Amino acid sequence: MQAFSNLARTYYRLPPIVWALLVLAGFGAVTTPQFRTFANLMNVLEQSATLAFLALGQAFVIAGGLIDLSVGQLVGLVTVVACMSFEAFPGWSLAIVAGCLLLGAMVGLVNGELVNRLKTPPLIVTLGMLSVLQGAIFMLTDRSVGRTVPAIDFLANGRILGVPASLLLVLLFGIASYFVLQRSVFGWHLLAMGNSAPSSRKAGISITGLTRSAYAISGLCAAVAAMVLAGRLGTGFPNAGDGLELDSIVAVVLGGTPLKGGRINVAAILCAVLFLGTLNNILNLLQVPAFTQILVKGVVVILAILSDRPKPAPAAG
Amino acid sequence: MTDRTWTVARLPSAERAAVWIVLALLMVFAAFVSEAFLRPNYLANLVRQAAPVGITAVGVTFVMVLRGVDLSVGAIISMSAVICALVMNGKPENLLPALAAACAGGAAIGLANGLLIAYGRASAFIITLGMSIVVYGLVQMGTGGTARGIVSPGFREFMNARMGDILPVLAICFVVAVLAGIFIQHRTRFGREVYLIGANPEAAHLAGIRTERTVVIAYCVSGLFAALGGVALLARTGVSGTNPGLGMEFDVLAAVILGGTTFAGGRGSVASTFAGVLVLLIALNLANVAGFPFAAQLSIKGFIIIAASAIHSWIGRRSGGRTEE
Repeated sequence: MQAFSNLARTYYRLPPIVWALLVLAGFGAVTTPQFRTFANLMNVLEQSATLAFLALGQAFVIAGGLIDLSVGQLVGLVTVVACMSFEAFPGWSLAIVAGCLLLGAMVGLVNGELVNRLKTPPLIVTLGMLSVLQGAIFMLTDRSVGRTVPAIDFLANGRILGVPASLLLVLLFGIASYFVLQRSVFGWHLLAMGNSAPSSRKAGISITGLTRSAYAISGLCAAVAAMVLAGRLGTGFPNAGDGLELDSIVAVVLGGTPLKGGRINVAAILCAVLFLGTLNNILNLLQVPAFTQILVKGVVVILAILSDRPKPAPAAG
Repeated sequence: MTDRTWTVARLPSAERAAVWIVLALLMVFAAFVSEAFLRPNYLANLVRQAAPVGITAVGVTFVMVLRGVDLSVGAIISMSAVICALVMNGKPENLLPALAAACAGGAAIGLANGLLIAYGRASAFIITLGMSIVVYGLVQMGTGGTARGIVSPGFREFMNARMGDILPVLAICFVVAVLAGIFIQHRTRFGREVYLIGANPEAAHLAGIRTERTVVIAYCVSGLFAALGGVALLARTGVSGTNPGLGMEFDVLAAVILGGTTFAGGRGSVASTFAGVLVLLIALNLANVAGFPFAAQLSIKGFIIIAASAIHSWIGRRSGGRTEE
């Protein structure tokens, strides 16, 4: 009886996405022998890296009750700019990487500044930015351009003692995000802003500063994701980031984060990223037709969100 | 609202008028850029162009007033266009069954959305996003990834014919959809319940409104209008493609929000959404008419969405309305 109640307590303590991931992995392990192999598991982790960085960045924004729809096209822009620069200025790799990270953070800062000054809904501002960035990409190129450098290739595809280099970087970013979001004053203020921006302002918290920082972090994470994606693709592909903004939002929400903000669990968000990667992998291994895969993914997203019912919400959610 | 009561009393709709002011300013600006914007023919054509996004936006307005959101409309537009073309199969007598099938499909997806959101008590954003992936998958499975189905002869020609040499039938359909939306919103019990629930779900529930049922109906309405938007898209292009509504949910969302409907719910109206749709469409046409290349048009579209929204919220604040937090 004691054992049972301990089990029940563990069940309720862990976020639902962890159980969903375990069930899915168990299903994969039973149905497909290839899934169980070390090489395949490492592949899943490697493939999930891009989305992991984006989701971590998006987590900062959503925690504060904001949203960032521009990250997908930002990934595309940074990928293209980076690969063009790598080709045009060989030997300047480090400066180019630094410049690209700066570009990401700057775009984020612009987002934050616009939200602050124009007082328009963040969704509209970043939707506008999505379009602006898309235009910028196609002004630069309409086809794949440039190339990567060995360091970037290693970041995306390299292994350290058999473990993907990108995974190590994700873990580093994940731990940093955990401490900043869940264990620092900055994080608490951000969550307070998500709970109620007016009350936070009255309590003396700088709403504008937090907004600016959250978007800058989101932009920076998108730039890192773009670096990893560039390494995986080996070239600057203008459509590389299409739809990634929605994937990142799905991952953050599957991680138990309400879109209104105010609550965050970084580990659960990383589990959600892994869940989406594992689902992709298993569907591929089971040789499910591409269009059926899309359908299954949609159904799973709906089921996963329905299983996460922290508290009764207003009727329209 | 303490010392501004007088202003508010005298200008009760100043905030609601914001989008119309933006629209007027944009029209004046557009007329300076190109005199085409002064020709009735061109303006009527603009309304025709706006029909797919506009008709869909009418339905989404209900959901947004209700504090919800519907991201599945882009996929429903695709589905509706594909179903319509498949059922028509190139025969004129299949026109009505095709319309019925498309509308039934859209309403069914809306019903599923509504049931999941009202009774599953889950985030509308994610449910409808998931639903859009599901519907997209279904459409791809149905078409096999290629454009299939042939529209009935005369369908496209009729819808694009100009009444009195000016107003295309499609433009009239859009206006009729807007009028129907305005009627539902202001003259039916459902329409008023949507406002009440959006303003305060708990109070609405305590007042005896069956909130769940209203939510389900609202999403159904949204799905139905999206299906009509898909038919309008098919009428404009004449081919269904495989995913013609791709990304249109964002244009629809932008139009509704430009119209002054917010995520906070409880306010906004179909009439304002109509103005929002026109603002968006004129912005897109401006970039086109001014002769910018496609890439620059995308960027300009982004700038205009941000600028129009900024002007809109600025006017709203000046008029002493409730500000968005």
